[in-house]
Amino acid sequence: MSVGCVFDIREFTVHDGPGMRTTIFLKGCPLRCNWCHNPEGLSPFPQTLRTAVGERLVGEMFTDEELARIINRQASILRLGEGGVTFSGGEPLAQADFLAALIPKLNQVHVILDTSGYATEADFRKVAALCNLVHLDLKIMEPKDHLRFTCVDNAPILRNLAILAELGVPTIIRVPLVPGVTDTRENLEAIALAASKVLAAGTGVLVRVDLLPYNKAAGGKYAACGMNFIPLYDESIECRTDTSAFERLGVPVRVC
Amino acid sequence: MNQRLREMRERVREREHASLRQKTVPDVMTPSAAQDLSWMQRTALLTRMQCGAEIPVIRAGEQLVFMRTVPSVSAYDTPEVWESRFEGGRPHELGPISNICPDWGLVLSQGLLGRKQVAEATRVRLAADPEAVEFLDCAISTIDAVLELAARYSAEARRFGRLDLAGILDRVPANPPRTFREALQSLLLLRAVVWMSGHYHVGIGRLDQYLWPYLQADLAAGTLDADGAEELLAEFFICLNKDSDLYPGIQQGDNGQSLMLGGVKRDGSDAANELTRMVLRAARDVSMIDPKINLRISMKTPLDLLELASELTRQGLGFPQYSNDEVVIPGLMAHGYALEDARDYTVAACWEYSIPGKAMDIVNIGAVSLPAATDKAIRDGLAAGDSFEGILERTRADIFAQVDAVMARSGNIILPPAPYYSVLMNDCLERGRDLSKGATYNNLGIHGACSANAADALAAVKFFVFDERSISATELLKALEADFDVYDDIRRQLKDDAPKVGNNDDGTDALLARIFEDFADACEKHSDQAGGRIIRPGTGSAMYYVWLARGAPSMKEPIVEATADGRRKGEFFSSSLAPSPGAKVRGPISILQTYGKLNYNRICNGGPITLELSDTVFRDSESIHKVGMLIRAFAQTGCQQLQLNTLNVETLKDARAHPEKHRNLIVRVWGWSGYFCELSPEYQDHIIGRHMLG
Repeated sequence: MSVGCVFDIREFTVHDGPGMRTTIFLKGCPLRCNWCHNPEGLSPFPQTLRTAVGERLVGEMFTDEELARIINRQASILRLGEGGVTFSGGEPLAQADFLAALIPKLNQVHVILDTSGYATEADFRKVAALCNLVHLDLKIMEPKDHLRFTCVDNAPILRNLAILAELGVPTIIRVPLVPGVTDTRENLEAIALAASKVLAAGTGVLVRVDLLPYNKAAGGKYAACGMNFIPLYDESIECRTDTSAFERLGVPVRVC
Repeated sequence: MNQRLREMRERVREREHASLRQKTVPDVMTPSAAQDLSWMQRTALLTRMQCGAEIPVIRAGEQLVFMRTVPSVSAYDTPEVWESRFEGGRPHELGPISNICPDWGLVLSQGLLGRKQVAEATRVRLAADPEAVEFLDCAISTIDAVLELAARYSAEARRFGRLDLAGILDRVPANPPRTFREALQSLLLLRAVVWMSGHYHVGIGRLDQYLWPYLQADLAAGTLDADGAEELLAEFFICLNKDSDLYPGIQQGDNGQSLMLGGVKRDGSDAANELTRMVLRAARDVSMIDPKINLRISMKTPLDLLELASELTRQGLGFPQYSNDEVVIPGLMAHGYALEDARDYTVAACWEYSIPGKAMDIVNIGAVSLPAATDKAIRDGLAAGDSFEGILERTRADIFAQVDAVMARSGNIILPPAPYYSVLMNDCLERGRDLSKGATYNNLGIHGACSANAADALAAVKFFVFDERSISATELLKALEADFDVYDDIRRQLKDDAPKVGNNDDGTDALLARIFEDFADACEKHSDQAGGRIIRPGTGSAMYYVWLARGAPSMKEPIVEATADGRRKGEFFSSSLAPSPGAKVRGPISILQTYGKLNYNRICNGGPITLELSDTVFRDSESIHKVGMLIRAFAQTGCQQLQLNTLNVETLKDARAHPEKHRNLIVRVWGWSGYFCELSPEYQDHIIGRHMLG
């Protein structure tokens, strides 16, 4: 039996993959992305949010059986709805053992892993192999900038992307477009190049690249978490949604 | 929609045509008294004089004509006489028959002259029955009045050189239509006269069924193409918005101009056709509050039809409203409706099920305040040291007492004669009996209002007082008594930590189901199968989500104080079938699963699950497909009725602050949609506070 910490379960999450989906938000993340819009997902522990309308405890512990039961009770609806479950976060792979125990207990449910890709090779392999589709974020290709804006090295992420190609798990690369940070021509070209390598690895692996325009409500929940939102970029600038670098390399791309 | 229709819609929105309204109404009272007319004769005279006082209005380019110029419906009685008519009984609502649906297919196919022949034949057959003779003479006189009105419209059309229109008005509503356009024109005029006779909440019924033969013939003959048909439909829909200011209702927009699409035919075969799709498209293009669209579906309904309906949902008008044939039809049969009639169901006006032309059901004689029942049971039961089962028994007793009280108030509703409405029904002329004396079905509907809060209160008491034992009965009673003042910790626990309806939690959902079983038992006790009067329990809340919380002048039920689900006094209740306001829920799948557990064979009156989608849902490129699948999940879970609304809270808040910028903003209120800025503030607040999903 394994125990995981969940900060939200939301149904009919239309932006989290194909069909009718339920998204499980797993609590805890090793990254500290400067633009993170789910700050309550950062700490791996239950915590109290303090808002104008009162306090709320965020973070509930579930055993793998309990969570599997909740998902399986709606499995037939998710199946008929051409959807399934999406594990997001936080960083779901921060609870890789929990996921590895949970996913095999699901009753024919389509599983998407929505990950930053930042995980040990062993953790990544064991969970990715259980998933039908992986949403992997590529944020910044230049290592120093990646470290500056997310507080972690991007080498494990790029290694894990290559593992997806090796495993042949269908993958959507997702790029959060942050003005002046990730939406630069150089960065998008570098991401396009990385994506084209996955594309070359075999048919059916790289489904497409999704460009996700900046969410201007990113800072909304920081105060409730007792944190400060200090963007190192200018939020007022519209992000660029330039897909040309991908198109030049024949990489399927979509702006969401 | 073309330029002509866009301009026409704009003129209707600006209410430009209101300047054509007359200043006075005909005096029906004086001749009624002078000639000492009977009640029946007065109602017929009313219809005749309202028709006679109308001044034809034909504006350039209109393909369909009629608007009301008489600004209201006259009284034919002095208030004293009117009151005396209900001695020993009582009127229902305003008095005149409302909230049913005529058999439009029958009337169109026979034409008014055909209906007149039926009346005349019955009159010969029943010549010895003075009551029948009076009724039939009155009915015939109203037919003549409508024909005379049509003739004046025709003359006016001729005067304008509109020979096309004149020809149509010479033909209908006297005769069966030959074309789709004639059918729409006939329907427009026939319907308006129902309203002009003082009736309201006049159902439009299964439009895609009874109009399809006319359209099909036009399409087959090549005299009309799909674009032309949709243009006519759009114009018809715009016309339905012209007189909405003259309709009585609790709030502007509550006028029951609802139509039904899809489902199965009387023989059980699939009823959806090309017109079904055209109506959905035309309603989407017109995007006005009328008509309200309903769609009957089942697990067999093709996804592309659900997707087309989702495109209408995206407009944020709060319709279509969906009904699940697989649940509604057996539910109606369990309440005495014959299989073929049950298959022919529509909604009367809001959400209550009715059979076109055959039902004189009074679908909303009252409501049971479910939160009052559980609240009283909880307070009395805890004070008396009851077990939890004891509290449930008290709840049952209170629900029975409330149904008894509703029935005592409604036992002898007296309906005014309705000779014109009778013309439009299935067998009033045939039997020589006025509609007010009954039709094939004469059942009564009662709603169990605000059920989620009621079940949540029980669930919280069970959880904290009986299972966890972390809040004592005394503490809880004190907290309720004090409206949670200085007991905010307790209130927060009750509100945030107790199990809630809408999360597919079996324990809580069982309490909800039990409340409705009690309610159904109480209604069954008053049902008279042999006498043909069955009490239909329903799940609607209508305005009670506001009334029970804050009171209203005409309300018979008590205002409910603080409740054990952590709701303070004055806070709103849940609408029809929806989680309590502010209750934490995971989303629409669990909500549908919760409501799929109710036994709709026992609660067949209607009252929808209400889901509010954030308009951001529709930013996803596959959203139409996904919403279509959500609608199918509603059928899959075995639920009865669904309202799917699209809202943007920021827009609503802005509309409160700057109504002048949002005059055309439409929202679903309960069984109907209205202009947000025309609603009273408490209804605006309720809508802003609803659960946002997606």
